[in-house]
Amino acid sequence: MQQKNWQHLRQNQKLRQSLLMREKVVDAIRAFFKQKNYLEVETPLLVKRPGAEPYLNLFETTLELPDESRQTGYLLTSPEYAMKKLLAAGLGSIFQICKSFRNKESLGGTHNPEFTILEFYQVEANYEQLMGVFEQLILAIANATGVQNGQLVFQGKTYDLAAPYPRFSVVELFKKYLNLSADELLDLEALRDKATELGYDLRGLEGLSTDFAWEELYNQLFLNEIEVRLATFDRPIIVYDYPAPQAALARKKKTDSRFAERFEVYLAGMELGNAFGELIDASEQRSRLEADLDLRRQLGKKDQEIDYDFINALESGLPECSGMAVGVDRLIMLFADATEINQVLFFPASELFIDEKPGAKVK
Amino acid sequence: MSTIKAGNIKKGMYILYKEQPHYVLKTQFVSPGKGSAFTRVKMRDMRSGANVEFNFKSHDSVEELDVETKEMQFLYHDGNEIVFMDPRNYEQLSVPRHILDEQALMLTSEIKVYLTIYDERVIGVILPPKVRMTVTEAHEAVSGDRQTAGKKPVTMESGLIVQAPLFIKTGDVLLIDTETAAYVSRVND
Repeated sequence: MQQKNWQHLRQNQKLRQSLLMREKVVDAIRAFFKQKNYLEVETPLLVKRPGAEPYLNLFETTLELPDESRQTGYLLTSPEYAMKKLLAAGLGSIFQICKSFRNKESLGGTHNPEFTILEFYQVEANYEQLMGVFEQLILAIANATGVQNGQLVFQGKTYDLAAPYPRFSVVELFKKYLNLSADELLDLEALRDKATELGYDLRGLEGLSTDFAWEELYNQLFLNEIEVRLATFDRPIIVYDYPAPQAALARKKKTDSRFAERFEVYLAGMELGNAFGELIDASEQRSRLEADLDLRRQLGKKDQEIDYDFINALESGLPECSGMAVGVDRLIMLFADATEINQVLFFPASELFIDEKPGAKVK
Repeated sequence: MSTIKAGNIKKGMYILYKEQPHYVLKTQFVSPGKGSAFTRVKMRDMRSGANVEFNFKSHDSVEELDVETKEMQFLYHDGNEIVFMDPRNYEQLSVPRHILDEQALMLTSEIKVYLTIYDERVIGVILPPKVRMTVTEAHEAVSGDRQTAGKKPVTMESGLIVQAPLFIKTGDVLLIDTETAAYVSRVND
C-alpha cells in the first residue's frame, strides 16, 4: 500500500526538507513585505459572493443559522475583492498569505484544490514597478533559503534569478514564435489559419461564439507554441500586456486599449504569478464583470451575482495601485527542487481523496 | 476506435494524434491564467519513436485506439530490429528497435513480453515490471566520492549498466525495474 507523506517524514530526508521548505519560504515572504511596510491583512475564506471568473469552478457549501435558515456560501478562489475593499478604505499597501480553493482541477502536478496564495497590492505603483517588487521578493526568498549568488538549481538546471528579468509583451511573443502581428493575434480568422497550418484539429471550435472561439485558440497557441519556448530559458521570464479579454480586472493600456496591463512570470515552464495594473473605474469594472457573468451562463455554470459591495468600494475611490497573486506552493517547489506539488504539501488532497481505500481501517 | 474527451486521456492509452498512433506517457491538467482548461499530453509517436507534447482543449474529442495485445518471447537483436516469437505457433515477428527505445536493454533471453498491435503493425512493447538479469561484469568496490557512496556501476547481460550495492559480484542475478532501469535487489536462489 502506498505510504502517505506523514508516514515518510521520519525516514525520508529529502521529503522532509521539501516539506519544511514551506516554513522558510513563507517566513521570507512575510519578512520581505513587513520590511517594506506593507500591512498584513486577513480576509474571509468563506464568502457569499465568490467572484464571477467564468472558468473557475467553485466549492459550494451551506451556511446554517440557529433559526434554521440557510444560505449558500462558497470557498473563495482568490482574496482579490476583499483586499480591494481594504485598499478603498485607505489601508495603503497590503499583503495576505491565505488558502484559496478551486474545484475540478487535478490533484497533483502543479495543482491542488486548496492551495496557498500570496496576494499583494502596492498603492501609487504601476505594474512595471510591481515587476521590480516581485524580482526583489524572489531574491529575498533565495537568500533566506540558502541559494548561492542568486543561482537557483532546479532539476539539474541552473537559473539566474538576477533582476531585471527578460520581459516580452504578448505581441512580441506572437511575432517571434508565430509570425503574427498584433492585429492578427486578435483576429479569429488569422489564428484559425495559423492553427490549420500547424495541423491542429479545429472541430472543437464549431458552434462557439467568435469571442469564445478566439479565446480557446489564443490559449491553445500560446500554450503549445510559446509557453514551451519560455521553458527553455535559464532565467525567469516576464510576459506582459495581454489582450484585454484576458484581463477582466486590469486597466486597459492608455496607448492601445486592445491590450491590458497584466503580467505573468514564468520559470522552468511554471507560471508563478499574475499581476494587474488594477482597474479602478467602477462603471467599467461593472460592465466587464457583467460580460464575465454572461460567459459564465454560456458555459452552463451556475449563475452568480455581482458583488456590489466591491463595485461600491471602487465608486468610493480606489487608489491607483497594482496587485499580484503568487502561487506559494509553486515557489516552494522551486526552492525545494520538487517537480510535484504533492512533495511540498504535508497532506496532499490526492492522499485524502484518491488513495484512501473505502472501508480501510487503521490498525 | 472510440471517441473520448481529451480531459479523459490517461497514461498508458494509445491515441490518434495528427493521424498517427501515439502512446500516452504522461498527462497534466493545465489552466491558463484565464480561459478554459487544457490537458497537456506527453506522448510517443509510435511510427517515428519521437516524444511530443501537445495541449488539448479538455473538451476536444480524441480517438482512442483499440490495440490488440499478444504475448511473445524475445529471441534476438538483429541490427535495428528486435525479433520475437509466438511461443504457441513459433511464428516470428520483427519490431523496429526505436519502439522499445532504451527499454531494449531490458530484454533478456526468453523473456516474455506483450506486443501491442494496431492496424496489423506492432506499435508498442509492454515489459514485465521487473526482470531478472545476470551480472556479466562487476569490478571490486573502490571507495568513491560522496555522490556514489555505497554504489558502483555493474554491467548486465544485456549491456545495461546499473548502479548496484558494493557487494554485487559477476554472476549474481539481480532484479531490475524495467521502468526506471534501476537495481531493485539481488535474487538469492
